[in-house]
Amino acid sequence: MTEEQQLRLQAFLDAELPEKDTRDVAAWLAGDADATALLGELRNTRKALVDFEPGLKLPESREFYWSKIKREIERSAPVAAPARSVSPFSWVRRILLPLGAVATLALAGIITVHQFGGGARPVQVNAILADAGAFTYRDESQGMTVVWLSYPAEKKLADNPSPATLPSK
Amino acid sequence: MRPGLICVCLFFAAMLSLPADSAPAADTGEMTIEAQLIWGTNDSKPDPKLKVAGPTLSDKLRHSPFKWDHYFEMHRELIKLRLNEERTVTMSRNCVISVTNLGNDQVKFKLFGKGTLANTVSQALPKGQLLITGGDAENSTAWFVVLRQVD
Repeated sequence: MTEEQQLRLQAFLDAELPEKDTRDVAAWLAGDADATALLGELRNTRKALVDFEPGLKLPESREFYWSKIKREIERSAPVAAPARSVSPFSWVRRILLPLGAVATLALAGIITVHQFGGGARPVQVNAILADAGAFTYRDESQGMTVVWLSYPAEKKLADNPSPATLPSK
Repeated sequence: MRPGLICVCLFFAAMLSLPADSAPAADTGEMTIEAQLIWGTNDSKPDPKLKVAGPTLSDKLRHSPFKWDHYFEMHRELIKLRLNEERTVTMSRNCVISVTNLGNDQVKFKLFGKGTLANTVSQALPKGQLLITGGDAENSTAWFVVLRQVD
């Protein structure tokens, strides 16, 4: 049996053939045992498929069934949060938070300056110098004040400051 | 952070800041001044018997505008002063100093050369600070009187 003949049998079974072809196939089946056997197999196969996949029927109407799905979708959708009423306290808290942080930082800075940076304040030096050529020099980074005397009398202060000529006391 | 917590933090921070300014009870007004007569020179080996000045002081002097590389301690005095007390100390044959405790780390310093008042300086001298008076000496050397407050 050719493939085309097999397809004609399938079409006969599905009642897809024209009336003339249907009559020809019926006559062919009457005289051909193989074709009759194949038709029987095809019929059994179709029956098995139909029994295996029975059509599902909804227990309620289609409209009611889809209305249930729609309600479920709407129920699970996120609900927009209702607008919260802003109380005066929340505004105060919003202001206090950054203000408190700034105040804490400022206090920490003041404490640091007070306890560790006291020496950084400029030192006021009042000098009365008998020497017109003398000068006062202040080095804040080294933390020292230098008064430099230049008039000749002061050179004798050390009196040739070698060990022999700069006695202590 | 809640506002209440912020207030607590601010309170403790304020309490911490108080001791810096509120500890006069422990301050008796006394101070001890160390006075050193220093000789500065560029000669690295003027005399082996000379005592080299302390490294901290030498380092400060070397990093100052002074031109000398080596500093030697010729004399040292510790001067304990009560509040408003003035003491006079002889540092060398020709160098006499007078220091007054003015309170609040303030000192008045007078330097006499051969009995003549050369200069008077009043300033705050907290610990770690130096008050240096100096001048030229023979052979391109220099002398210094260094004051600092010690414990």
